[in-house]
Amino acid sequence: MDTAATTTFDFEPHLYKDAEVVKGLEEKLLRLADEIGRPVKLMHICGTHEHEIGRFALRDLIPDSVEVLAGPGCPVCVCDNEYINMAIQLSLLDDVIVTSFGDMLAVPGSIPLEGERRGDVRMSLLDARARGGDVRAVYSVFDAARIARENPDKEVVFFSVGFETTVVAVAAMLKRGAPDNLSIIEANYYTPPATHMLPTLDGFDIEGFILPGHAATITGLRVYEHLAEQGIACASGGFEPVDVLASVVSLLEQIRDGKPIIDNPYNRLVKYDGNEKAKAELFEVFELGPIHWRGIAEIPESGYKLRPEYKKHSAALKFAGRLDERILAGAEHPKGCRCAEVTLGQIRPDECGVFGKLCTPDAPYGPCMVSHEGTCRAWYQYGMHKERLHVEVA
Amino acid sequence: MSKSPEAVATKRASSRYASVRLAHGSGGKLSLELIQDLFVREFGGQELAELTDAAVLENPGGRVAFCTDSHTVTPTFFPGGDIGRLAVAGTVNDLAVMGARPLYLTAAFLIEEGYDMEELERVVVSMKRTADEAGVTIVAGDTKVLERGKGDGLFINTAGVGFLPDRVKMGVKEIQPGDKILVNGTLGDHGIAVMSRREGLDMGVDLESDVAPLNGLIEQVMAVAPNVRFMRDVTRGGLAAVGNEVVLNQTWGLRVFDVAVPIHDIVDQYSEMLGIDPLLAANEGKVLMIVPAEQAEAALGAMKAHPLGREAAIIGDIVKQPAGVALVETAYGSRRVLEMPIEEQLPRIC
Repeated sequence: MDTAATTTFDFEPHLYKDAEVVKGLEEKLLRLADEIGRPVKLMHICGTHEHEIGRFALRDLIPDSVEVLAGPGCPVCVCDNEYINMAIQLSLLDDVIVTSFGDMLAVPGSIPLEGERRGDVRMSLLDARARGGDVRAVYSVFDAARIARENPDKEVVFFSVGFETTVVAVAAMLKRGAPDNLSIIEANYYTPPATHMLPTLDGFDIEGFILPGHAATITGLRVYEHLAEQGIACASGGFEPVDVLASVVSLLEQIRDGKPIIDNPYNRLVKYDGNEKAKAELFEVFELGPIHWRGIAEIPESGYKLRPEYKKHSAALKFAGRLDERILAGAEHPKGCRCAEVTLGQIRPDECGVFGKLCTPDAPYGPCMVSHEGTCRAWYQYGMHKERLHVEVA
Repeated sequence: MSKSPEAVATKRASSRYASVRLAHGSGGKLSLELIQDLFVREFGGQELAELTDAAVLENPGGRVAFCTDSHTVTPTFFPGGDIGRLAVAGTVNDLAVMGARPLYLTAAFLIEEGYDMEELERVVVSMKRTADEAGVTIVAGDTKVLERGKGDGLFINTAGVGFLPDRVKMGVKEIQPGDKILVNGTLGDHGIAVMSRREGLDMGVDLESDVAPLNGLIEQVMAVAPNVRFMRDVTRGGLAAVGNEVVLNQTWGLRVFDVAVPIHDIVDQYSEMLGIDPLLAANEGKVLMIVPAEQAEAALGAMKAHPLGREAAIIGDIVKQPAGVALVETAYGSRRVLEMPIEEQLPRIC
């Protein structure tokens, strides 16, 4: 099916934040909302979109009748407790250094944290570090490889979490030869199967998706054709204010015209078939398999798992005898945490009973409140749960 | 003019040792050697040289402002500064933002056994140079050496005394809606400069920390804007921390225009890349001033006339509503909360 379309913007890079261009898009959105004349729900599926929407307060610029919800787009939020528990256990072994992106460090798994006076508190990698675990924040897997080379007498574990934007680097590194003492926790997720699942959920009423701009530079947009086929509007989305609003404009135009396609307003980076070279390398090292999405379900073909020839770098295999299986499996979440519903866009963060009260970034119940990619965190941080901030001057 | 850090380390008795030993903190012969040949010799000053149990100081009059701060930073030497400059400037600035004239400092060193002696000397020289720049004297000190593994290299505590003229009347309760908010230059330089040199994050960022004593600049501003309502040095937690501290439980709010905030291009790019917010990043040479609207332009002019204030700007104002909230207004007129920093900023996944 020919759903590819291109909306070309002739902007200079600095114009992606330009106030005049934003103003024009804001007016266009008002007109489109008027023409549609009924409430519309849209969804993005990238944590960075929620963060940028918060940072630039973009919901202030979108008409009230158009609701932009955050879907399952935060790699930290969908990461199952099994992997967090594994990383924590490994970090507490004397001969292991656990490396991770900064986002993951404060996310609680399900291991109870003894001796705390804050209630039902679960252990994070930061807690493990405070208890003697060797946990280090890294910017990329290449830093983990360097640490492994510098510490030949230690085992170095890289907590490989994220979507395509990070797993491709892991594949590239492993393919070019990684130190034997480096292994990875395989917690990389592939989004399209989750978006397949969304329309099957009860009460699903999303009419358009802003597709994840960064992940789509790798995967391309073809993998989302199933959405357009089901009558759902689609548009790739970049991350500057102009990008986000242009995607919303595209979706509203499709909805107004009743012609859902896969538009590509972020075509300065996203190609319809993605990055063939990166995909080839990715699938040389990884294959798709079932993986648990935290609090949601096990979704087939949605997790990146090492191929047999790279299994020697699998932390799960390498440390199989030294991990407590019962702890890995203990995946229950703290009482009252509705992260899963937030992640699916079924409720807004402020509809969760513990949001901002018992669950805050400094004492998080779940990952959505920890990661900067997390919907709850973004809402809390940028005050999106408050009424619009009306200013009265002196 | 103080000696350059490279030129020290000449013919010191303490320099017989390549590194600091436990005995340097034991109160015996090596302690005395270190104190006299390094601290007294570099810091100078009559009060210190007398090696009495307490320094006896002249009181120029006014109320006494008194503060203390402990310093630890990784790495010890970073682009644009080091822990010594940080320790002196930090305490000087704490006094200066109260409207006080800083005069005397103490310096206490907690040194891990095995710490490189030449590095310690460089730190001390840097402290002296910064103290001279600020016009303060280091009048008393202390040295303790911690067993290897029981301290992270070097910790420095400085306490400071300044004098506050009776006419100075500043504080959060003086702030009123309509007041303007000023900063003396680009925000986030220190935090990003230090972060860019930490292990694993080295991206060859060409940026220097802003660490500097601000008492000279502040004096210059107060001369032309005598009714400054409130000042605070913008340090850890950045503008976001100060903004939120100021509005806590107040009947008015604080508004920052994001496009008005001076941000170094490199800081902007590095922050975008790592997903951190320069408004939350640390500074060590920045002051936030809240000034009556009618004195704002004069204050800005005085800031810009000082070498540490060339990129000063009016970045926002105090508003009647929303009360108790620090908010950011974007170039598009949309508004978000300027959130209180929670944890140390760490690079994000994507």
